[in-house]
Amino acid sequence: MRLVNGFCAAVAAAILAVTTHVPHVFLDPNIIGKAPITTWTTFNGDYRGQRYSTLNQIRPANVNRLEQRWVFKITGIGALRGVPAPVIKCTPLLVGGVLYLTIPDHLWALDARTGNPLWHYEWVDHGGHLIGQRGVAIWKSTVYFLTPDNWLVALNANTGQELWRKNYADARKQYFSTAAPLVVKNHVIVGVGGDAMDMPGFLDSFDPVTGKLQWTWWSTPRKGDPALKTWPNETTSEHGGGMTWMPGTYDPELNLLYWPTGNTNPVFAGQGRPGANLWTESIVALNPDTGQLKWYYQVSPHDTHDFDNTTAPILFDRVVDGKTQRLVAQAARNGFFVTLDRVSGKYLVMKPYVPLDYFSGLTPQGEPIPIPDKDPTVGGSINIVNATNWQAPAYSPKTGLVYVNSVEGKAIYYLTDDTAQPSGYGGTGDSIGHVQRVLQAIDPLTGKAVWKHVYPNLNNAPTTVGPSILTTASNLLITGDDQKNVIIYSADKDQILWHHEISANESGGVITYLLDGKQYILFGAGDSLYAWSLSR
Amino acid sequence: MRHPVFRAMLAGSFVVLAGFAISQEMPTGDQNSAQQKPYQSMTTDQRAAATRSFLGLGPEPDKAAAKRGEPLFQRNCAFCHGQQARGATGASLITSDEVLGDDHGEHLVPFLKKGRPQNGMPAFAAMSDDQLSDIAEFLHLQVEDVANRGTYKVLNILVGDAAEGRAYVNAHCMSCHTADRFAHIASQFRSPEQLQRGWIWPTRNGDGSLSTTATVKTSDGRIAVGRVTQVSDFRITLVDRAGQMHVIDREPGVEVQIKDPLAAHQELIMMLTNNDMHNVTAYLETLH
Repeated sequence: MRLVNGFCAAVAAAILAVTTHVPHVFLDPNIIGKAPITTWTTFNGDYRGQRYSTLNQIRPANVNRLEQRWVFKITGIGALRGVPAPVIKCTPLLVGGVLYLTIPDHLWALDARTGNPLWHYEWVDHGGHLIGQRGVAIWKSTVYFLTPDNWLVALNANTGQELWRKNYADARKQYFSTAAPLVVKNHVIVGVGGDAMDMPGFLDSFDPVTGKLQWTWWSTPRKGDPALKTWPNETTSEHGGGMTWMPGTYDPELNLLYWPTGNTNPVFAGQGRPGANLWTESIVALNPDTGQLKWYYQVSPHDTHDFDNTTAPILFDRVVDGKTQRLVAQAARNGFFVTLDRVSGKYLVMKPYVPLDYFSGLTPQGEPIPIPDKDPTVGGSINIVNATNWQAPAYSPKTGLVYVNSVEGKAIYYLTDDTAQPSGYGGTGDSIGHVQRVLQAIDPLTGKAVWKHVYPNLNNAPTTVGPSILTTASNLLITGDDQKNVIIYSADKDQILWHHEISANESGGVITYLLDGKQYILFGAGDSLYAWSLSR
Repeated sequence: MRHPVFRAMLAGSFVVLAGFAISQEMPTGDQNSAQQKPYQSMTTDQRAAATRSFLGLGPEPDKAAAKRGEPLFQRNCAFCHGQQARGATGASLITSDEVLGDDHGEHLVPFLKKGRPQNGMPAFAAMSDDQLSDIAEFLHLQVEDVANRGTYKVLNILVGDAAEGRAYVNAHCMSCHTADRFAHIASQFRSPEQLQRGWIWPTRNGDGSLSTTATVKTSDGRIAVGRVTQVSDFRITLVDRAGQMHVIDREPGVEVQIKDPLAAHQELIMMLTNNDMHNVTAYLETLH
């Protein structure tokens, strides 16, 4: 049986296998996280979160020869619970000529040469939010997929047969999963989302073969931990949030994971939890073998604006004052650009990259001191909209710049629960005025933008979805706008080299790879996955 | 089981949620919005239902029963569990397995009858099934009030000083506006919150005078002037005074000048203090 493109009518069976073509996917664990060339093995392509490719077949001089090779359109799925139509929000992985594509509850293996589906796995959920799915992890011939209701499902990468499943959080407590797991050595590291009910965030590590739980790291401290002094008591800490819903990065030499933690709970109502509220809103460095915390840096102490510090912490090395420094940088959702020494966690740069006025200074550790008057209040309080979100930033070692699609604008935040013991969100926020998207190329050693590009748009830029970024060795920066254009810039300056209008906004991660000697650019936009390469 | 409902939710075409009051992205991006009913224009009940469905919360609590259950809860349970069941000496019940595992009392009623004497929770065997069921609905409503942010309502936002607000308006607004603009302004809005939004950032709907306009000069010297309906790096779309649409590719040599009549309000938003906002709203609210 050969399936035509766009086959995926809603099926009761969990899997449809195509018998004519059985791939032989096997990913050598030693190449996971290495610079991507003919594969894309992790959410960010490598362990460093750079989303940088050394490929240079596609370059400024020939971008005008880019052509669509194939498109895979998701059909037959229809509206998901609370979501009107499927939108690809994953970064596909590529191993052995097979692409792995996800939306909530669905995983496809596609032939990278044609876009034809090889198999399709459908999960029937019992709860959880269907808001997005970031993609799978892969190790040897096993694919790991997270479901909205918090199951880690291991599947045979060649056939889609389920090997085992493991539940790690209770969807009734508003835990839900959108993440891509991260494989590091013999650990499948799994994060979780969900902030409607004041639950604590955590990271779980599972054995890739058996699914046995290896360790759990909680995002908020428990009894006996000195960090409890940043909470009024143990109960508030145990209900303090700090979700881990975006994948972290990893330094194999230091053997440290760098994980971003989400917003504090209750979300907008902070009056019941005076203190900094560790380790929510932080970058934490963890030992992947034990889950032990080595250091933390809190980007938004005592968050009351859903600043959700989940943007990728990007790892890179730079020579500073004649010495090679191992650094980690993040364009945080709270509007600050932060660069840290990734060995010690000491800060080098902490600087706003969007217009903001909610802090009075920095602590000696370089953490911003929020102004209490800017907290949500009953009468309304003006503050920034989220300056970015989950969409991937990038770093180019060629230019030494971090690239982020930022959002500039303001919102009025209301406190809707002014009791002494608020719970849940406890407030609302809605943007006011024009909210615009600005592509920024930021020097991570100064925090200053070297160049910016304001995307013209009559409509407000959505703060919760947006185009991701990829850079290449040939000085390309590939991203999109909010008006269905895929755009290639010159990475070293604000110059548009090429654009093409497609059927929806670029909505997942952009990847590139060499297949049969040809460089491809691949990205999801709305319900379709597009593969582009140069004309023959 | 108080399990989420997994049908294709929400009859009709309107779907879910706006605001960015959620940690992850909400499905309001322009790419999906074609047939969506804006969250802002939903009724309170529609918002609550849409959010409940999106979040996968359990069945809707029975509000009448919850109201009957409230005094029973306050008398019998609040001492340990807090007035809103968010915990006191006893545990918070918002994320309790017993509560979340119940739909409409079928599990909680027998549980409450027995209590948990080993943990110090008494049995409520003397209360009727109806009473215990009402307590169960009260608990479900407490969960709903926390977890379903579609039910959230702003409180009384009139916290400012009207006299100070009047002084601010006189000092900052009269270079563009006349006093007529503010007469009866409060009666144009449904609520003080709408008034607050409305004076800071007026809606452009239906009033051509607030539309963004542009003058576009093409490389061959032609000039188009009109209301902008779309603009990107690559294209601008205008509707001129005669109602004719102009779609112009922004090629090299094309000059675009855009004018936004709300530019002064955008500047205001970037600078406005909370006190000034509250004071002006308090003042304008007196202008009915």
